Amino acid sequence: MKIVGHNLTTKESFYFFEIAKGLWITSRHFIYNMYFHIAHLLGKYPEVPAAVTVQYPEEKVPLSRRWRGRHRINARPDGSPRCVACMLCETVCPVQCIHIVAGEHPDPAIEKYPVSFEIDVTRCCWCGMCEEACPVDALYMDTGKSPEPGFSREDLLYRKEQLVKEMPLPGCQRSLNAPGQGPMEANPLGL
Amino acid sequence: MCLDVIITLLKIAIVFGFVLNVAAILSWAERKQSAVMQDRIGANRADVLGFRIFGLFHPIADTIKMLTKEDWVPPAGDAFIHTLAPFLALFTALVVFAVIPFGDTLHIAGRDIPLQIADLNVGILFIVAFGGLGFYSVVLAGWSSENKYSLLGSIRAAAQLISYELALGLSIVGVVMAYGSIELDDIVRGQGQYVLGVIPYWGIVAQPLGFILFFTAAMAETKRVPFDLPESESEIIGYFTEYSGMKFGAFWMGEFIEVISVAGVVTALYFGGWQIPFLSNQGIFIPGLFTIPLPHLLVVLLQVSAFGLKVLFFCWFMLLVRWTLPRFRYDQLMAFGWKFMVPLALVNIVVTGLIKYVF
Amino acid sequence: MPTLTIDDQQVTVDQGTTILDAAKKLGISIPHFCYHPRLTKVDACRMCLVEVKDAPKLVTSCSNAVRDNMVVFTGTPKVEEARKSILEFILINHPLDCPICDKAGECKLQDYYFRHSRQPSRFKDYKVKKHKVVDLGATMVLDSERCVVCSRCVRFCKEVAGEENLGIFNRGDHSEIGTYPGKKIEHNYQGNLADICPVGALTAKDFRFKCRSWLLCKVDTICPGCSNGCNAVVHFTLRSFDGIKGQRVFRLTPRENNDVNKIWLCDVGRWGYSFIDSIDRLTTPALKKGEDFVKSDWDTVLRETASGLKTVVERYGPSAIGVIPSPHLTNEDLYALKCLFSCVLKVTNIDFKLPGLDKGEGDKLLLKADRHPNTRGAELLGLSGTGLSAEAMMEKVKTGEIKALYLVGSDPVKYIGEKAEEALSRAELLIFQGTNFNASCKLAHVILPGATFVEKEGTFTNYQGRLQRINKALEPLGEAQADWEIFTRLGKRLGSYPSYKYAEEVFKDMAREVAPFTGLSYQKIGPQGIKLTLPEGKS
Ligand code: SF4
Ligand code: SF4
Ligand code: SF4
Ligand code: SF4
Ligand code: FES
Repeated sequence: MKIVGHNLTTKESFYFFEIAKGLWITSRHFIYNMYFHIAHLLGKYPEVPAAVTVQYPEEKVPLSRRWRGRHRINARPDGSPRCVACMLCETVCPVQCIHIVAGEHPDPAIEKYPVSFEIDVTRCCWCGMCEEACPVDALYMDTGKSPEPGFSREDLLYRKEQLVKEMPLPGCQRSLNAPGQGPMEANPLGL
Repeated sequence: MCLDVIITLLKIAIVFGFVLNVAAILSWAERKQSAVMQDRIGANRADVLGFRIFGLFHPIADTIKMLTKEDWVPPAGDAFIHTLAPFLALFTALVVFAVIPFGDTLHIAGRDIPLQIADLNVGILFIVAFGGLGFYSVVLAGWSSENKYSLLGSIRAAAQLISYELALGLSIVGVVMAYGSIELDDIVRGQGQYVLGVIPYWGIVAQPLGFILFFTAAMAETKRVPFDLPESESEIIGYFTEYSGMKFGAFWMGEFIEVISVAGVVTALYFGGWQIPFLSNQGIFIPGLFTIPLPHLLVVLLQVSAFGLKVLFFCWFMLLVRWTLPRFRYDQLMAFGWKFMVPLALVNIVVTGLIKYVF
Repeated sequence: MPTLTIDDQQVTVDQGTTILDAAKKLGISIPHFCYHPRLTKVDACRMCLVEVKDAPKLVTSCSNAVRDNMVVFTGTPKVEEARKSILEFILINHPLDCPICDKAGECKLQDYYFRHSRQPSRFKDYKVKKHKVVDLGATMVLDSERCVVCSRCVRFCKEVAGEENLGIFNRGDHSEIGTYPGKKIEHNYQGNLADICPVGALTAKDFRFKCRSWLLCKVDTICPGCSNGCNAVVHFTLRSFDGIKGQRVFRLTPRENNDVNKIWLCDVGRWGYSFIDSIDRLTTPALKKGEDFVKSDWDTVLRETASGLKTVVERYGPSAIGVIPSPHLTNEDLYALKCLFSCVLKVTNIDFKLPGLDKGEGDKLLLKADRHPNTRGAELLGLSGTGLSAEAMMEKVKTGEIKALYLVGSDPVKYIGEKAEEALSRAELLIFQGTNFNASCKLAHVILPGATFVEKEGTFTNYQGRLQRINKALEPLGEAQADWEIFTRLGKRLGSYPSYKYAEEVFKDMAREVAPFTGLSYQKIGPQGIKLTLPEGKS
């Protein structure tokens, strides 16, 4: 690592001029923005913005394709989750907020399935590692939704029954096998 | 006699009503001003029946929140002192206004009413003394919290307050020398003179360096950015960590009131107090040219509003500074206080003395 | 004794040693599937190929004995190429679904693939489908698709467990392991199949899908299942929430110890861990109020216990107290108990030998009839025969001569039956200290929760008189405490008692006082245990 030092010049070491410069910049912004705020109130120059703020949730910016929103689980054609309870997401999750109980699936070709699958979004840090870890195209964070507030911790524990019903947001969709995308493609494990 | 008491109470009500309201509004102004400076909009969500009036309900919402929150006293701490500390903070900040004159003497119904709550002949000492007392609220808060981090925070704060108190006191000495009085009313009246007949002899003219020193030291006393090491809400733990609810709110209010106090003192000492240039008791007057007589009441009204506006301007300016500068490092803070401010304040006194001697 | 060179290092080994074993001695590990140090060599997988100087082809290191002046290379490009090809060959029909496979993380095939192959599949045809989830018996499940047909399992059943019921059926890439028609695996060593199967073909029903191998922590311990004292590793998790809620310990696997259990573990011991997290664990101290137990705290119950015992001693003398410890306790626990009762309270009625304690069903290989890990230790500490026998105590309790009975993990009702039940219900003061609720505990007036073998330090003495250490893997469940700790706290209230803070301190005192342990320390016992020099006539 290289430490880049900066020795103050005499003028800078006085602070005063630098402070004045800084104050000038901020007050310039203040005066400019204030002028247009007042102008807007009077119905003038509506095209010149006085602030860059987006008034969420009334206004929304288009989401990036990579935006990580609430989780969802892809479904098999019969509506059951594609998750095979491999617990890779549970393992990789840095905050340990995924809890899976695995069970023996009646179909030996599927073998393993999640008896319960819970994501505790009160803990989730939205890192998206679970999405990347999933080997079977099951877990995605492309719903384009942010977590809704809840009245209890229970409300913020998303279970597989709910996760499997979520749909991807068209612009955000990252999975090949999302519903409404034509025939299902084979998933990497042939499941 | 009875009337005197009523008049005094009325003055107290007016001044403190002004200060407390401005303090509440400052909490709104701080959010809004910082937002406008940073191209944002700022708090605007609190709505009553669909009206949002630029987020003005936020201070009210804050108060309701603070009042209804759990008031927690650390079980191992000293409950009495823990409760006392925030009120001390409020009190010391508020009481400074008692000696600040906010208008010329009002002649009404044959009475002379000085527009100042208490015309102390040691006004400046009073300000410095009560400014210094604010230090106790900090130390007591940290100490009674029974939390070592709070205690460390309060020690940090105490060290800072003491260091800058020195520079603060020394820089006022210049003003005292310039106007030859430590009575605030005299100082404000002294600022009604003119240099070379046209330049108002305000403190800023008499003591430009003194003003900068005083203002900087006073900002440090308010414990706000760039001198917010006692609190540093974003990283270090400050002395009021163990406070919640309205007691925390009291510290918060205290801080805003300190801002207004500082603005008031700066106005009184360096910006002519209630003086408006070229407006005297007789009316508008341009020296050597003409005089437009104005009724006494109007003049007083103009002067009182001038004082209010000046105070508001300095409040605005302090918020501007708070949202412009980054925080000092603690060693920088100490070095700046002791190696820069104090010597400079001493130089200022010497230079002032020399000038006084020569002229 | 031939001397040979492996990868430029010289080593001298016994005549007849295989190249693989010789390399192991040098710390060079050669990949292998079918080789197992305790099974016959069959040359089935060819994963262990190495290059021998002057040999025309690569040779299998698992079955070829060393010769003098042999020069072996285990990492030449030719060897690597061979490994890569073997792996590719094995993986042709392998399902490649490690994420679902329970072996992932401890699978030889997976490890070797990452170490030696790392190439994408070139196989374009359909994979051979075989049977999945085949039930092999009470405890094992087979997934034929994952099998690499190393035949370890077949050899194990035949050679070690002595039960010929597994075989390889069909040929070539259709080969499958299976039980002979109409048979199931029945022996007591089935769990070892899951350990020796190099891949995820054989899995134990008990562990299957419960937890991923990489989420488990491992601590050395001793199986508490019987007096054989098999060396084991306990696999547990520290995560608040894994697999089944509340389960902390997931399995026991064997640890190699040539003198005790070779490298095996029997099923009784292996799957006997469930009491650790079971619902009937005693987790808080409790007092009986009327018919019910009321949760209490340590200070209260210890006060009650101490004052109860004191009153009995003062009024009726120490002979009115009976103590029945369990040989499930460690030597440290038992020594602390002995200090408390025979030294401080002068109680002589201490007997751990409930009738029928050693009447389980043993077998020839490992399992012993005595299903207690520390019977020998209790004997050596003299916790029997000093006063009345346990049975006699029951009689005296019934007649009212013994007023207070202190049970430490023992269950007289289970071993003596109704007679004990009647006696216990008549006791004036019945204290139960132990890990789990049982029939005797039901009658107790005071309950002191104790720690299980994975929750405390200590030593067990197995039937041969071998002293072996157990280690603390987890904190005791709830408010439970190690038994020696409880005795220490109780001792403080009853008289002068050493203030032990660690089990090791108890052991040090014991090593000073009790003959067979003289001069020993935890360091000297080491991971593999140490054989005690036993007094005459006791070995
Ligand atoms: S996004 Fe990150 S924190 Fe959230 S569940 Fe997935 S892995 Fe865990
Ligand atoms: S990584 Fe995918 S398949 Fe594995 S448990 Fe998570 S969601 Fe299920
Ligand atoms: S046996 Fe090994 S390689 Fe095969 S699926 Fe299981 S873990 Fe993967
Ligand atoms: S089941 Fe396991 S041990 Fe048996 S042959 Fe197959 S791979 Fe080998
Ligand atoms: S290990 Fe040598 S052939 Fe299998």
